[in-house]
Amino acid sequence: MAFSAAKNIRRGRTLTQRQGDTIFSVLLILPTILVTTVFILVPVVDSVIQSFLDYKMKNIISGKPGTWNNFENYIKLFTNSKLGPAILQTFLFCLIVVVAQFILGMALALVLNSNIKCARFFRSIMMTPWCVPTVISALIWMWIFQPQYGLMRYIVSVVTFGQVTDLAMLNSPSTALLGIAIAALWKQVPLSTLLLLAGLQNVPGEIQEAATMDGASARVCFFRITLPYMKSVIKVVLSMAIIENFKQFPLIWTMTGGGPNNATTTLAVLSYREAFVSNNLGSGAAVTTVWMLLMIVVVVVYNKFMGDNETT
Amino acid sequence: MKKQMKWTAAAMAAVMAFSLTACSGGTDSGSTSQASGTAETSSGEKVTIKFANYALLEDAYTEFWEGVKTGFEAENPDITIEWVTAPYADIVSTVTTMAGGGDKVDMIFGEGTWTSSLVDSGLIIPVTDVLSQEYLDGFYENSLEASMVDGEIYTLPMYMSPFILYYNTDILQKAGVESVPTTYDELLAACEKISGMTTEDGNAIYPFGQTTASVAISGSAINSMIFNFGGEVLTADGQLSIDNDGFKQTFEMLKQLDEKGYTPENCKLKDLRNLFALGQLAMYYDQSWGISGVENINPDILSVTASANPLAGGSGEGASLLSTQTLFYCDNGDANRAACAKLTEYLMSDEVLGDYLNNIVPGYPTLKTMSMPDNPVLQGSLGSIDKAVAAPSVPAMNDLNLELCTLAQAVTVTGTDVDTAIEEFRTAATNIIG
Repeated sequence: MAFSAAKNIRRGRTLTQRQGDTIFSVLLILPTILVTTVFILVPVVDSVIQSFLDYKMKNIISGKPGTWNNFENYIKLFTNSKLGPAILQTFLFCLIVVVAQFILGMALALVLNSNIKCARFFRSIMMTPWCVPTVISALIWMWIFQPQYGLMRYIVSVVTFGQVTDLAMLNSPSTALLGIAIAALWKQVPLSTLLLLAGLQNVPGEIQEAATMDGASARVCFFRITLPYMKSVIKVVLSMAIIENFKQFPLIWTMTGGGPNNATTTLAVLSYREAFVSNNLGSGAAVTTVWMLLMIVVVVVYNKFMGDNETT
Repeated sequence: MKKQMKWTAAAMAAVMAFSLTACSGGTDSGSTSQASGTAETSSGEKVTIKFANYALLEDAYTEFWEGVKTGFEAENPDITIEWVTAPYADIVSTVTTMAGGGDKVDMIFGEGTWTSSLVDSGLIIPVTDVLSQEYLDGFYENSLEASMVDGEIYTLPMYMSPFILYYNTDILQKAGVESVPTTYDELLAACEKISGMTTEDGNAIYPFGQTTASVAISGSAINSMIFNFGGEVLTADGQLSIDNDGFKQTFEMLKQLDEKGYTPENCKLKDLRNLFALGQLAMYYDQSWGISGVENINPDILSVTASANPLAGGSGEGASLLSTQTLFYCDNGDANRAACAKLTEYLMSDEVLGDYLNNIVPGYPTLKTMSMPDNPVLQGSLGSIDKAVAAPSVPAMNDLNLELCTLAQAVTVTGTDVDTAIEEFRTAATNIIG
């Protein structure tokens, strides 16, 4: 009996390899868990709770908790005819930018990977828009698109030999979203190009060479060898683009404020207006919750579509 | 070696975790330092006024406000001004967030349109808690009416302006417009004459500008135009009131002006100021201080610029929305309130504010003892103050103003008929006001 107890004590003092590894793993992962919990999980849960409450600025200032309001925030949201168009605008914007970003990014990456002269110089220059703060990008593009004295109006006027002199990209409900998408692409394409270029440079040259010798065309090589080998990079690039544009706010708010006639009111703009223009944080949180659920659906569908990371 | 690496990695993880704790500790120590400032205040020895002021970040006004600090502190060595700054668009959320963390500012320089929302948030206190009724009796009545919520004055109007009509005398003269329009019918006639004119370098000249872009100030400008037509958006007690002729006539006029190509579409005020400065806009509505923006772009344009009273339309008599630049107060104890009263009186003195209104920001004084500005550009619109109306307000006024912009955009850029657009506005506005 005494022998067994002593053995247990000794076991308690000296950890097994497995126990040691477990403790070590927990120690390593602890900061991540702490950061994720404090800065992501708690605010998300808090926001979801707020979406069911009458919670305004005065609650923050007075320190008084919000009060349950019988789903009033959601009832208001689903009956005010703004949510549907906002969801549509969000998806449309995201789709346009993500698809165009991938195509342009891939095209540029292929050009830069083709041993052109000064490739390094072009790569450096190309990154400039990515370094510009989003609000500054928005202001630059607002000036370019300005309908009375903007650069785009002038260029279009010259190119069309004076036939089109009233281009007002951001003033028309049918083109405003496209105008913002162009600004978003200008800013985001450089990073996509850089990541795709890194992926391209990791595609084994000998396999392409062998395929070429077997008579495969450049198109077949690209679709059957290059793209499958780049799948993991493509997945990262697309994920980043989807997330970035699904939550795009500063560009839209600065360039159009959600107008004209709500044509660019996305979920991000709607959420901001409810929370910080109307000062109704509960209502803003309701939009954010719907937005988050949609984002989860998008991510699940995307992951299902893209499959695992392994190359075929 | 492997074991050593393992424990080094663990130690690094521990350091990271500790640094997180240290970060939160840093915030605490920051609060302590601010709290000690407040404690010093309540002891009555030295008072620090935390003054939230977006204008300090705008080049044209920095020198004036720094001068206020220097001059006031020299006169009152026991009071220090500590600036809290953020850009215009962020200053309210900055002070609200600070207050949520237990750190209230003492004063805020801002716009009268913020009043309802700040009262609703519980951040500001009535002006009568800071300044005596006798002092307030020295202000023009309509400026104080514009500062009221539920019959209580919540903000001190520093200076004011209705939306007045700026015009380019040169363009009007060249177009053969003999007298400045006083009604919307006369405006349409003048626009017809100006339409088709170009600048010397071939750019089109727009006859008239009214801001309708999606920013809150554009909503205020549209609201002002509704007053021109004798209409209203809200009743005195803040209920939606859009079934009046003036409201509908305003949007019919905006649609007509747009269809005839007399106005640049969906412009912000700064776009109109740019066009006016470049000589591409003959007339436009702006607050008196808006001309500073024009002057910054092209100082020469002032030689051909004049102002006129707002136009009258429908059964309206040309009333306009009174805008104010104001001071808000928060409660940080008796000593701070007394210091704020001193600073207010210093700021509102003829030497300080009079100079500011005459040389930096053209505006109309709110104090009866101050003389009207001698700025030649403003002489034509001096009478506009008498017809300026203090509009009723609701806590979500900014959102309601954005909906007014959406309504204006619907009848102009989208081409929706006025009745349909008004019904869409009614739905959106009812949701906002509740």
